[in-house]
Amino acid sequence: MNRSIYTRLAVTNLKNNRKTYVPYILTAVLTVMMYYIIDALSRNESVKVDSVKLVLSYAASVVVVFSVIFLFYTNSFLIKRRKKEVGMYNILGMGKTHIAKMLFVETIVTAFVSISAGIAGGILFSKLMWLVLLKILHYDVNMDFKISGVSIVRTLILFGVIFGLTLLYNLWQIKLANPAALLRGGNEGEKEPKTKWILAAAGVLLVGYGYYVALTTESPLKAIQLFFVAVVCVILGTYALFAAGSIALLKILKKKKSFYYKSRNFTAVSGMIYRMKQNAVGLSNICILSTMVLVMISTTICMYMGMGDILETRYPREFEVTAYNPDAGQEKRIRNIIEEEVRRAGVSEKERIEYHYGGVAAVRTEDSFKIAVDEDVYSGNENIYELKMIPLADYNALEKQNISLDEGKILLYNPDADAEKMGNTVKIEGDCYHVAKELPAFSLEKKNSSRVVGGYYIIMKDEEQIQKYLNLAYERLKEENPQLDEMKVQYRVCFDLKGARKDRMKTAEAIKKRISDEIPESYSDGREIEQEEFYAVYGGLFFIGLYLGFMFLMATVLIIYYKQISEGYDDRERYQIMQKVGMSKKEVRQSIRSQVLMVFFLPLLAAVVHIAVAFKVITKLLAVLNMVNVSLFFVCTVVTAAVFAVFYAAVFGVTAREYYRIVG
Amino acid sequence: MALLDVKNVRKIYTARFGGNQVEALRDVNFSVEPREYVAIMGESGSGKTTLLNILAALDKPSSGKVFLKGRDLSQVKERELAAFRRQNLGFVFQDFNLLDTFSLKDNIFLPLVLSGRKYDEMEKRLLPIAKVLGIEELLEKYPYEVSGGQKQRAAVARALITKPQLILADEPTGALDSKAADELMKHFTKINEDGQTILMVTHSVKAASNADRILFIKDGEVFHQLYRGNLSNEQMYQKIADTLTVLTTGGVKGE
Repeated sequence: MNRSIYTRLAVTNLKNNRKTYVPYILTAVLTVMMYYIIDALSRNESVKVDSVKLVLSYAASVVVVFSVIFLFYTNSFLIKRRKKEVGMYNILGMGKTHIAKMLFVETIVTAFVSISAGIAGGILFSKLMWLVLLKILHYDVNMDFKISGVSIVRTLILFGVIFGLTLLYNLWQIKLANPAALLRGGNEGEKEPKTKWILAAAGVLLVGYGYYVALTTESPLKAIQLFFVAVVCVILGTYALFAAGSIALLKILKKKKSFYYKSRNFTAVSGMIYRMKQNAVGLSNICILSTMVLVMISTTICMYMGMGDILETRYPREFEVTAYNPDAGQEKRIRNIIEEEVRRAGVSEKERIEYHYGGVAAVRTEDSFKIAVDEDVYSGNENIYELKMIPLADYNALEKQNISLDEGKILLYNPDADAEKMGNTVKIEGDCYHVAKELPAFSLEKKNSSRVVGGYYIIMKDEEQIQKYLNLAYERLKEENPQLDEMKVQYRVCFDLKGARKDRMKTAEAIKKRISDEIPESYSDGREIEQEEFYAVYGGLFFIGLYLGFMFLMATVLIIYYKQISEGYDDRERYQIMQKVGMSKKEVRQSIRSQVLMVFFLPLLAAVVHIAVAFKVITKLLAVLNMVNVSLFFVCTVVTAAVFAVFYAAVFGVTAREYYRIVG
Repeated sequence: MALLDVKNVRKIYTARFGGNQVEALRDVNFSVEPREYVAIMGESGSGKTTLLNILAALDKPSSGKVFLKGRDLSQVKERELAAFRRQNLGFVFQDFNLLDTFSLKDNIFLPLVLSGRKYDEMEKRLLPIAKVLGIEELLEKYPYEVSGGQKQRAAVARALITKPQLILADEPTGALDSKAADELMKHFTKINEDGQTILMVTHSVKAASNADRILFIKDGEVFHQLYRGNLSNEQMYQKIADTLTVLTTGGVKGE
């Protein structure tokens, strides 16, 4: 009997608060769904590739953390709004234990609806998600999909605990407050916030430094090291700027009488000063979250779409074989293996390139190169170059030339399209060489501007000369790396295959297997073989990027919606007073629009600025991952930001209308 | 010509889905001359608030007309209404209705800012008013930093600053202690002596005894009027109290 009273009360309460509870339950349902789906996918036994499994389970744990924070956050909005109602029950004679019972039943109802609908939706949609994942990964596995019992249990436990925690939090809030305070709810008079100039200045400095680093870092290796520092600076700076900078700016505006005492600015500026105090953290959270989501989605989309480019940068030819310590016999055997396998598979080989080379890393100071040691590499020295030394005979064969070089002369080629020419003489480890010619083009590498590390091709008279520097490098490096193998002039063969994709794939696999069985100290790999691994990794990342991106987007948008709605209730009185004093409905609408607009788009705008500044340094980082198609990345970023903005605009429209309805 | 003319005003509230009709005002007629100080008294539910809303153009009468300086309020267009109110009427409310996010000065400026006045002009207007009301020292303070009486004086300054034709005061002493209420009424008298027309709705006999004329409303009609003549405030008080007694024990209409 008693029990049914609480149930009735709880259900009535939920019905009466449907304006805030319906979005809350919808959010909870979606969150439950997303957790179930990702957990079920990561447990699916048909996913054979470990990297994909890893990425999925990693994403699942992100979803867990996120669900906790997000549901807690929205719940705290709800309970704040309902304090008055609870205070009323208390005054009417309900003890705190009774209120606790009522809240308990409410939570049970909410949790039951959310979790059951979420799991049902999850089961329904996980099949679809599974198909999407397979498509993205280019998997050809048999449909093997079933409902995951483990995932259902885990979802039940996880969200049971989350809802339990929110209940505890709510009870704690009720317990702390006395009825009078509950009745007043959130409307306690607040003082005008003071300007924190130091914090504002710190914000400007931090963001400025982060931006400076992002804009001036040229070398990708340096970028890797500094990127993290810059990101941390910008994050901290964003918080400081939203918290103190915004208030400082508004106060300056307020001091400017000709600006402040305009009907358009008057209420907005004074209102925003208070708003920013309460909202600074929330808005900077949203800003940073949006920035991360935008970066995550645009880079993963870009990597996935640019996979062909990446593979082409990584493997200029479809297949390549490298022998680390070759002799004439071994080289012949390699060629034989290739030719045999190509013939057997019925495909044909084309554009074969073969050459010898010795590669060392060197530090360049003006016109002289010195072999780099570990320290130079790890310190992110921007003057590190990869020297590829190639004997003249191979050069002549590659380029179908007949050049001869005298003693002490070399040919030089710099693939960096933007580099300046070298002088007439070049020093390598103290030996002076005369540059017979700096080549305008070389078939091994086109002129480009996407190299991670600068490089030089040096054409030397013969292999002995190259070996001399390799020996020198070996001596130098051995001190720190005792296990290092001796460095030798290497032999490389690359070629493309022509034929059906399946046949090419088979050929590549066969060659790879025979080379590794029959040729010691060798390495071979091909695009076709690598592609599968690439699809697994980048496709996995792409899927996760979209998945989490969608979830974060939903969260940000909902958080802003809740914020605005609860502000609408706080503002109601203000706007009613202003209407009594003579503000027209139109002015009210305008004022609301501009206020909501600011709260909505300020974080997004800041996020877009962050990304615009970070664009260059991100392209450098992508270059490390062999993604050098800058225009593709640009398009991806712009499209992602645009989609984001559209989403935002839609919710903005709904929110502004709802807000006006509350206030008016 | 009368400043405010209320003719046969009738207001009927209809429940949302048809059905019950409630007659809040039956047939209200009165007028207010320039520089007059009029109080309206009546019990809760007598239709005072409805009447005030109609006078403030916040609500429209079901029939009858209200003229302010000869202009029919029902003819003012919807989108001009806010500006019309701002320019012609000043409001003083029971619960002050000051905005917490503004200093007293900015609260007082609010209607002028909405009208798009220059800052210098606003300053010039503010000084004499602040002096009369004794709030010069408090202008930079925020509403939560001052007392109720001070808040209400700031609200009066906000009503006066637009130089309105008419000040409409709705229970201005309702939320004040007796000392602050007396002080406010002194200010009202002073303002009125300076030439400002005031129409005040009140429950308080003490407050009403300051007015030149008192209208008593009962059951949606002007039931009775009292003129001050040469009476002192104390004598007025006694007369009002007597009238109210007659009114509540069920007197006969007319004098």
